[in-house]
Order: sequence, then structure tokens, then C-alpha cells
Amino acid sequence: MQLTPPLQIAIAGSGLLGRLLAWQLSLLGHKVVVYDKRPPERDTSAAYTAAGMLAPISEAASSLNSNVLMAGIESIQQWSLWCQSLNLTNALHHGGSLVLAHPQDSAELEQFNHDCRALRDNESLNIKSLNRNAIAELEPHLSKSFEKGLWINPEAHLDNRQLLNRLDAILATQQVTFNFNTDVNVGPGEISETQSDKIYRYDWVIDCRGAGARSQLGQLRGVRGETLHLHTREISLRRPIRLMHPRYQLYVVPKPEHRFVVGATQLESEDVSPISLQSSLELASAVYTIAPAFSEARVLEAGVNLRPAFRDNLPQVTTEPGLVIANGLYRHGYLLAPLVVEQTISIVAGNNNYACEKLSAPPLTNRQAVYEI
Amino acid sequence: MSHIKTLAKDSLTLYGQSFQSRFLLGTALYDSPQQMLDSVSASGAEILTLGLRRQNPENGDGERFWQMIRSTGCTLLPNTAGCKSAKEAINLALMSREIFNTNWIKLEVIGDDYNLQPDPFQLLEAAQELIAQDFCVLPYCTDDLILCQRLREAGCQVLMPWGAPIGTGRGLLNRYALKSIRERFDCPLIIDAGLGSPSQACDAMELGFDAVLLNTAVAKARDPILMASSFKGAINAGRDAYRAGLMQQRQTASPSTPTIGQPFWHQHTNT
Repeated sequence: MQLTPPLQIAIAGSGLLGRLLAWQLSLLGHKVVVYDKRPPERDTSAAYTAAGMLAPISEAASSLNSNVLMAGIESIQQWSLWCQSLNLTNALHHGGSLVLAHPQDSAELEQFNHDCRALRDNESLNIKSLNRNAIAELEPHLSKSFEKGLWINPEAHLDNRQLLNRLDAILATQQVTFNFNTDVNVGPGEISETQSDKIYRYDWVIDCRGAGARSQLGQLRGVRGETLHLHTREISLRRPIRLMHPRYQLYVVPKPEHRFVVGATQLESEDVSPISLQSSLELASAVYTIAPAFSEARVLEAGVNLRPAFRDNLPQVTTEPGLVIANGLYRHGYLLAPLVVEQTISIVAGNNNYACEKLSAPPLTNRQAVYEI
Repeated sequence: MSHIKTLAKDSLTLYGQSFQSRFLLGTALYDSPQQMLDSVSASGAEILTLGLRRQNPENGDGERFWQMIRSTGCTLLPNTAGCKSAKEAINLALMSREIFNTNWIKLEVIGDDYNLQPDPFQLLEAAQELIAQDFCVLPYCTDDLILCQRLREAGCQVLMPWGAPIGTGRGLLNRYALKSIRERFDCPLIIDAGLGSPSQACDAMELGFDAVLLNTAVAKARDPILMASSFKGAINAGRDAYRAGLMQQRQTASPSTPTIGQPFWHQHTNT
């Protein structure tokens, strides 16, 4: 197989992975075509619904996976480089995250602190305990009822919609072809339209349809997540706030133009119907207790989407000649995308021996593809 | 001593079905389904509880997740977690009977949002209705003796009093009440909720409870699989201790080494 550019590459799925891969592969001189069943005017990707947090320590502490931690810390550096080359000067914020619990739930905060410290001896982790005054100094608009908090670094957050818009604009200039409203099946070196049975041949097909690939990937499931998008000028936050609670963890992430994303529920269901009242109550009451001035915020959107996940909730990149399947980023889309993009490009570049060790998954070579036809 | 008890088969019978394991495990709160499946396997549990209230059960949207739980081959015990009235719980029980093809239901009607304390009045009402509709009801209740009596009268063949509120990990908060319940009822009694450590589960079994149901203490451990195995050992130890018959605690020391050779006037007592 010809391994030097230009290769003819088809990408199924125009979510975060699809767009990042289209960008990187077209920069390398390959000819890229993207297929997506969604209409061009409505972004239904999980990447669009997501809050765009890069929180390797907090995420690793809640899943106690130190591989996620290490991959995630590298990922923040990669996002810095990507934002520079996309000329996004103000889309990546490095202020860390603030983890809080109400006084009656302080055991949750202690558990979280304990879990963070149990992750790994790592000099780059900076977890600082804060008292009431230190919290107020860091985030003056928060409720004064918080007595203890944790400031966690290095963690960051991305203005993800700004990023997605910029990627779309760049892809348009790089002659990447988008076929929207086109539902496809993938196979080695080929894409077939489900509606017309038309088959198109490519040097490589990359399947990154997220939860949209469930019909072909038997092991993949969707995990429902719900978010609220709020607008208020009364509050400004500098960093994501995570609220620990005995039964759920909720966060609020500041976005440009006085917007905030509050998320996210996590339900083992593939239901994509609108947000439930119960979930709205949980999200709304959590954000209200973080800062009562949120009470007059306007609810702009209530997002619902499916996180694509395999059984272990970790990403998989599997390959066979002519086909790469990259999926299962679960709740770590932005956090782990750099790693998955790197692996995928490495395969397309002919480096099939690339070992996927960073997430403790078995090596890519000799690994059975997970798709079912 | 004979070894009759040691050799006799010590199985748990619930609604006519026999089980070797006395550990009922919940399937929520794990980091991944794989971790849940591995924990189930390590626990030796033969009965798994699962909630479906928030998964849009009418449309079967949790099917892929449920399928993984079914794949364990364990007896499924759907619960009505999240329901706050008898009516909601009854509706959900009817739905779960269809989805999981079982008339077993862990009946849970929550009266207080914060500590998830059962609402005894709604619980009893729901139990009466569901038993009338041929359900095998396993009610999650408080340690109130009269509530337990009423649930028995309603036809519950198993009672599941709490050790402490769900997720608190505080162990057996009211030993007096729990002991009274054990003494007064000869039906299977399962301590459901509030256990945080294997020693607490062992404690419950030593008191004579027939089984233990828990979720958080395993799912939220740093190593849930190891913790599941640890609970399994503790539950077996507690059960064996109960069957073996615990010695009575005494006020005075009683040396296990014979004191022959020691003059009797040196053997003091405090009484």
C-alpha cells in the first residue's frame, strides 16, 4: 500500500475526533472526505454538547485510573499547541479547577482528596486545600457557605464551540469534503451508504462515529448525559467548579459571553429524549447552591447526548488493513482526543507497531477489530 | 462435637428459591460495567439488584447495560429506587416485571430526599398492592418493629431493614432494634444499606441476619473487586460464627489455660 501522501482517506463521523483527524490528515497532504448522517446546520455531536473540561486529575480521581491521568496531563500540552496553530488565542484556560462540597458533605471532599493523592506520586500534581477566605479570593462570586475546597492543577477548560467553529472554517479552506445527511457503514477500505448501497473505495477508512457506530460495534454503548446552558451577567467564574455530593458530581464551566455549562448527569441509558425534570432539578439546585445569583440566569439550552463507551469506559483504537476504528472516549472526549488522534495518525502513516500502552490497553497489532458486520 | 452443622448445606431460601451466597450486590456506581462484572464475580453474589427508574424503561433504553447484568447469570432483583410514592413504585415494578421477566421486586419508596429514608406508609401500601398482583416483594424498610410486622402481615416473606441510611457506611446504627427484629421474626432478614466495611457485614451476620445487601461500599472502594471479595469472606465468617454459636461475653477473665498448680487463694474474682 502506498504510504506517502496523498492518500485517499474517508472519515465516518464529524464529531471532535472526525474534525481533528480531518484537520491533521489534510495538513499532512492527504485527501480527506468526511461522512456524517447529521445535517450540516445542526451540530448533534457529543463534542458540541460537552463542557470542554480538561480535568485529568479530577477525572482520574473519580475513576482511579492513573493512565487517564498521565495521558490527560500530556493532552493539555497538546491542546496548547493545537490552539496556537488554530490561532485560537483565548480558547484554552489554564486556571485549574475548584472542587467544593457543602459542609454537610465534607466527607465527599475528603474522599476526593484522598483519591487524588492515592493516584500516583507525581510532582506535576498540585492539589491545594483552601479555606473559606482562600475560596473567596479565588472565586469571589461563589456562595460564602463553602468552608473547604480543593484547587487542582494542572487542569484546564476549552471554549469548545469556538474550537469546533474554527476547525470547520479551517477545514473549508483545506479542501476537506463534507458529505452531510449521509448515513454510512464502514469496512476495510470502503464506505457504503446505507440508503443507496453505493460503495466508495479509499486507502483508509477511519470510523469515529461515537455512539453513532453502535449498530456496527456490538460492544459499544451510549451513556446518557444531560447539561444545562445558562446565561447570566451577575456572575463570573474563572475556572470550572466541581461540586461533590453523596450521589452525584456536578460541575459548572464558564464559557464566553456570560454563558455557563452545568453538567452532567450520567445515566446507563441510550435514551436521547429531552432532559428529565429530575435531572433539571439536580443540575439547577446544584448550581443554585454554588452561587445563589444563578437563580435569575436564563436557561438557553438543555443538552442531551450519548457518551460512547466500551465496557471498561476507556477508548479503543483498533485496526486492520484499510480501516481504523477509534471510539469509546466516554466522558473524556476532549481530554483523551489528542492521544487517540496521535495513535490513529500513526497507524495511517504506516506505523502499525504503535503500541497503545498509555491507557493500558493491549497493543494495537494483532488485536481483533471490534466491529461486527 | 459432631460436625452436623459444618457439613450441613447452609443455603438461603427466598420465596422458594435457594442460594448458596448470602451476599446481594448492587450494580450501580462502578467506574465501568467491566469493573461491575468483575466485582460481581469476585463477590460470589447470586442475586443482583438494579435500578431502572431513570433509564427511560418504557423504551428499553437501558437495554445494552441490562444485557451485561443478565450475562452474569445471577438472579435479578429490580428495584424501585428513586420512587417517592406507592403509585410510582407500583408502576415501575410492573414495568420491570415485563422487562426482566421476573416477579421479584426490591421495593423501595423514599420518604426523604437527603438521607433516602424509606417512607413506611407508602412502602406498606405499595407492598399490599404488589403482593395482590403476585409479586415477590423484598421491602427495603427501617428497623421499626411495627412496620416489619405490618409488612409480614401484608405477605412479605422477606424483610430488608436498613443498617443505616443508604451510602453512609455507618454499620448497624440501632443494634437494639435490629436484635429485636431478629428475635421476633423467623422469616429471612436481609440487612440492606448503610454498611461500609466488611467487619460491619460480619457483625450483621453474627447477629443472625440471613444475608446482606450493599452497593456503595464495594463500588466506591479504591479496588472494588478486592473489596467484593473481602465482603464475601466477612459475610461467610459472620454466618459461620452465628451457626457455630458465639460464646457469651463475661465480666471476668476466664483463662483458657488450666490454672492447676496455682493455689486457689491466688484466683481472684471481682464479683
